[in-house]
Amino acid sequence: MSLRQAEEAADPFTPVAEIPRYGAPRAGIDPDTSKSWLRRAMPVVKAHKLSFFLALGLSFAGLVLQVQIPNLLNKAIDTAIVAHRAPLSFYVYWILALGVVGGLAGYGSRLAIYKTAYNIEFDLRNIIYEHLSQMSFSFYDRVQSGQLISRANSDIRSVQMYMTFAPLILVQCSIAFVAFAFMLAISVPLAIVAMVTMPAVYLLSVKMRKSMFPVSWLIQARLADVATIVDENVSGVRVVKSFAAEDQQLKALARAATRLQWSYVKDADLRARFTPAVQNLSQIGLVLVLVFGGYMVIHGHLGLGAILAFNAYLLMMQVPFTMLGMLIMMSQRAAASADRIYEILDERSEIVDRPGAVDLVDCRGELRFEGVGFSYPGGERPRVLEGFDLTVAAGERVAIVGRTGSGKSTVARLLTRFYDVDEGAVRIDGHDVRDLTVRSLRANVGVVLDEPFLFSVSIRDNIAYGRPTASLEEVRRAARAANAEEFIEQLPEGYDTVVGERGYTLSGGQRQRIAIARALLVNPPVLILDDATSAIDVHVEQKIHEALSHLMQARTTLVVAHRLSTISLADRVVLLEGGRIVADGTHARLLESNPLYAEVLARSSAEESREHETRTA
Amino acid sequence: MAWGGGGMGFAPVRGAGGLPFGGIPSELQEGVDRLLADEPVHPEPTETFEQRPATGPGRLSLGRLLVAYPRLLVAAVGLIVVMALTSQAGPYLTEIAINHGMLPGHRSLLVVGVAAGAYLACVLVSALAQRAQVRTTGRLAAGVMKDLRIRVFAHLQRLSLDFFTEEKAGVLMSRMTSDIENLQQLLQDGLAQFAVQGLTMIVITAVLFVMDVRLALITVLLILPVLSAASLWFRVASERAYQKVRDGIAGVLADLSESLQGVRVVTSHNRQRHNVLHHRNVVGTYRDANNQTAQISAVYGPGTQMLGYLGQGALLAIGGDMVLHHSLSIGALIAFFLYLNRFLQPIQLLVQQYNTYQQGQASIIKLRGLLETEPSVDEVPAADALPPVEGRITFEGVVFGYDPTVPVVSDIDLTIEPAETVAFVGPTGAGKSTLAKLITRFYDPLAGRVLIDGHDLRKVSFASLRRQLGVVPQEPFLFAGTVRENIAFARPQASRAELDEAVRAVGLEEVIARLPEGLETVVHERGQSLSSGERQLLALARAFLAHPRVLVLDEATSNLDLASETRIEKALDILLQGRTAVLIAHRLSTAMKADRIVVVAEGRIAEVGSHAELLAAGGRYAAMYETWITQAEAESAGAGR
Repeated sequence: MSLRQAEEAADPFTPVAEIPRYGAPRAGIDPDTSKSWLRRAMPVVKAHKLSFFLALGLSFAGLVLQVQIPNLLNKAIDTAIVAHRAPLSFYVYWILALGVVGGLAGYGSRLAIYKTAYNIEFDLRNIIYEHLSQMSFSFYDRVQSGQLISRANSDIRSVQMYMTFAPLILVQCSIAFVAFAFMLAISVPLAIVAMVTMPAVYLLSVKMRKSMFPVSWLIQARLADVATIVDENVSGVRVVKSFAAEDQQLKALARAATRLQWSYVKDADLRARFTPAVQNLSQIGLVLVLVFGGYMVIHGHLGLGAILAFNAYLLMMQVPFTMLGMLIMMSQRAAASADRIYEILDERSEIVDRPGAVDLVDCRGELRFEGVGFSYPGGERPRVLEGFDLTVAAGERVAIVGRTGSGKSTVARLLTRFYDVDEGAVRIDGHDVRDLTVRSLRANVGVVLDEPFLFSVSIRDNIAYGRPTASLEEVRRAARAANAEEFIEQLPEGYDTVVGERGYTLSGGQRQRIAIARALLVNPPVLILDDATSAIDVHVEQKIHEALSHLMQARTTLVVAHRLSTISLADRVVLLEGGRIVADGTHARLLESNPLYAEVLARSSAEESREHETRTA
Repeated sequence: MAWGGGGMGFAPVRGAGGLPFGGIPSELQEGVDRLLADEPVHPEPTETFEQRPATGPGRLSLGRLLVAYPRLLVAAVGLIVVMALTSQAGPYLTEIAINHGMLPGHRSLLVVGVAAGAYLACVLVSALAQRAQVRTTGRLAAGVMKDLRIRVFAHLQRLSLDFFTEEKAGVLMSRMTSDIENLQQLLQDGLAQFAVQGLTMIVITAVLFVMDVRLALITVLLILPVLSAASLWFRVASERAYQKVRDGIAGVLADLSESLQGVRVVTSHNRQRHNVLHHRNVVGTYRDANNQTAQISAVYGPGTQMLGYLGQGALLAIGGDMVLHHSLSIGALIAFFLYLNRFLQPIQLLVQQYNTYQQGQASIIKLRGLLETEPSVDEVPAADALPPVEGRITFEGVVFGYDPTVPVVSDIDLTIEPAETVAFVGPTGAGKSTLAKLITRFYDPLAGRVLIDGHDLRKVSFASLRRQLGVVPQEPFLFAGTVRENIAFARPQASRAELDEAVRAVGLEEVIARLPEGLETVVHERGQSLSSGERQLLALARAFLAHPRVLVLDEATSNLDLASETRIEKALDILLQGRTAVLIAHRLSTAMKADRIVVVAEGRIAEVGSHAELLAAGGRYAAMYETWITQAEAESAGAGR
């Protein structure tokens, strides 16, 4: 698909400049929460059933072929070498042929199983990402991104590993039965004697994994302790040096390192207890084969080749038996991981298009809040807005001023439908925002956030974030209007400089101007500006001020204001208190007539920075 | 970024080292508790920090690290030899049992029994030797790793401030974490495995040659080159492929993490669909990388197995023919088959271990680089201790630049009298903070001298200088630990009374009373549980408890609520009493209160004088004051002051 096609395929409100090189996930997770985790995941496995069953079939076939080889050796020795009843070459050719075909089958099965595994992983990752991208803000308020990332990382892995490798391990274990059958066919009593130690191998390996688990977590936790001390001494180096605390910190590290040392010794002791036993128990089986097999050979009940064949079979079986223990651990982890993944996938977005929602087109930008009541979702939260009324004419610039918790920022969030009102309505050009498609609403309402977030892509792509198909000339124009062109061109790679790469960090003022350019490029008829709170250098402030006045031209603008300079850009100021508007007018008039306004103004910048801290904490 | 953006901020380092562990999952807690019940009380560390250690431990190398534990090392080597010998006796004993106990004419249950008994004994000895070896090498590795951690960390502490830039923070973290951890696997298991497998191959080859030279020659020549070549190919190919996988997963997680962090921007720009397609491409790239490793593993695993079977076929053809022509015993042929199976594994393992070894060596080289880095600001040999000072600070013709060719400050001549409060003001990048860093000797001047009570800072020991200095950074940095530990940071041995005094002096009692466990409350995640005003008070208490003669204070730029600001002002008044103080002021309201104001502009001292004097002079300060007052007046009018 060409770029143009990709753009055409998208609706006019959804900017798409990415050409997908890979197909969409083939299936989703079964939404029926009453089913078991494995059954819910089945659609995804079924979508790849061809390669999955191919893998299992080939694996089984390959193993069946390989199981023949020790038996062939047994017969070759007994019939061709000891008894001279058959030509040796017959067996040699068979072994070579089985070896080659078995190897090819092994290759095919591994390839198919890995392919299945990685395809399932691909599907799961994309399913989760797609789901996350549709979630509303109330969801992101509740969860931490660190948790989401760890779910998306290790949990997907453990589910995918179990779903694909568990069957493969089972196939390998089933081969143990075939091998055991061959052993029984050669000699029933010897087969039983040889197998005596196998259950112990299995039990020990299960026990080993169980007792190793806590210690490996302990090691990880203590490694993290050491890393924390190092991290603090790197980022807090000035405090450490200025208080001459090097010795104290060295002792703290030595203590942590000693604790870590102890846990490693503990780990070694546990491994010392189990590893030699697990590895040598099968050797005991071989000793038993030698002594009992020897006895049977001497009494003529058994050929010499059997001793060789039994050796080979026992060696073959050791691996599946230890893996069986692994399988149990894997299934426990996978179940827990799947639960955590489903927890995300079972979340539903609260902000969705109503049936029959219409697109907002030719937006003039007249805003009206009618008796809006709102409290943030999640239990008994206090009312943030209560009976909030505000009308903003098309093209008007209104600053919202208020104390911490007065609901200033909330007003903006309701307009873009980051949340929905509990009571009343928010209207744009007379339409209730809930009757509009979310996409068209957001395409018409631009937001500049107080803490400008830049992505680690080029400056150009950051500016063109809302319209990725914009030409470089358009990007430049936006940057120029935002007073950002000058510093961008001074960067080593200009517009192609990747944010955050090779230490190209941008100052807060620079980031803010890029965010403003980003909004300018989209050119929305309605703009919300969440004014930055941090103190800014006077020169920089001047530049941002200029950029903002460009930005506010010819569009309806709602400013959540903290700084005097920003307020001065607005035509009208409204003062928010107790969830509603208590004063409305020009800055000069309010300053004169309203003592609360003056007080809030002096305090708001200070308090807003704290509000932000608690909000993001 | 505000005034003094280049100041003493301690911005948290993003992604430093990566600390993925949020804690131990509940289902494992019981097991961990049981483990911990066994943990003895470790003795207090005896390591002491020396800026200039008298004797170095020499160049870092694997050998030197191991030799530090000679007894464990000798024991490990001995045990490895025992293991290699005993673990390979089985097939040879089987041959004896067959040739002398099972063949027609030589039937003897006694021989079989004795051989089996010897086999059993060998298995037991080998298992016991392995057990002891795992314990020994485990202890050896744990000890070496501890030494190495302490050694690298101590060196890190010696390095000067210019080494700790934000860009290098990640590198430093990975030296101390992943680079050292890379050695763990090698020391604990890798070297031992290397030796065991290598010896095993030698032992097997020797036994094969003893049994039959011709067949041994054929076997070894047939298997060894092919398998070695295959393994080498696998190692190179898989290393390259896994690098792509690592890059791939890093890309996937970075994309995800950014989408989550920037969710507000994503949503408000309707970028979800674009991003879903982009993520699909990123995940697809990762899948392609994975599929490439799949190709390699699918060839190597079954391939070596196939090689084993082909070897068996060849052995059957050649060896069987020799038995038929009576030039080889049947027992020896069976033993050859048994050894063949055991021959394949060591080669594969050796190749695996070689990877670990290479990674370990790469880490050693990186660590060596760090350990050989000299501090750019160092003590002179046998530096004198700075006697207790009054606190007179003198700059004499000081020139300094982080890059020697680009001076940041020059021609600085200034004397700060004992107990005087001096405020440095000036625009961002003028050099205010740099001057402060010269007082604390984070850097040395390129020309000129900085003196304290007439002592050149370069001639005195770091500890004696810094114990008489107190520094309050712009962004207070809190260490993981309790509030008490954070306050007593400079003097961990401080008594409770002294601690209380410090808390009271800066007005922190209220805050501490509100905390769930008072002074013992654990501060989380760089102090996020305390507000920024409270963190600043804590940093002031920390400085107060240090009883410094000279205080260097970088004023915070973040906005505080009025109550906090008032509290901090009061605390400062107490803290500055009777001390020489250097204030890097970002607000003129703070600077106004100083005894003298030093205006720094373009790296030079532009004006010096009291607030009134400078206003009267009508220079730069007066102009700055003019700009600032516009806003300040509106605010103070609003606040009703």
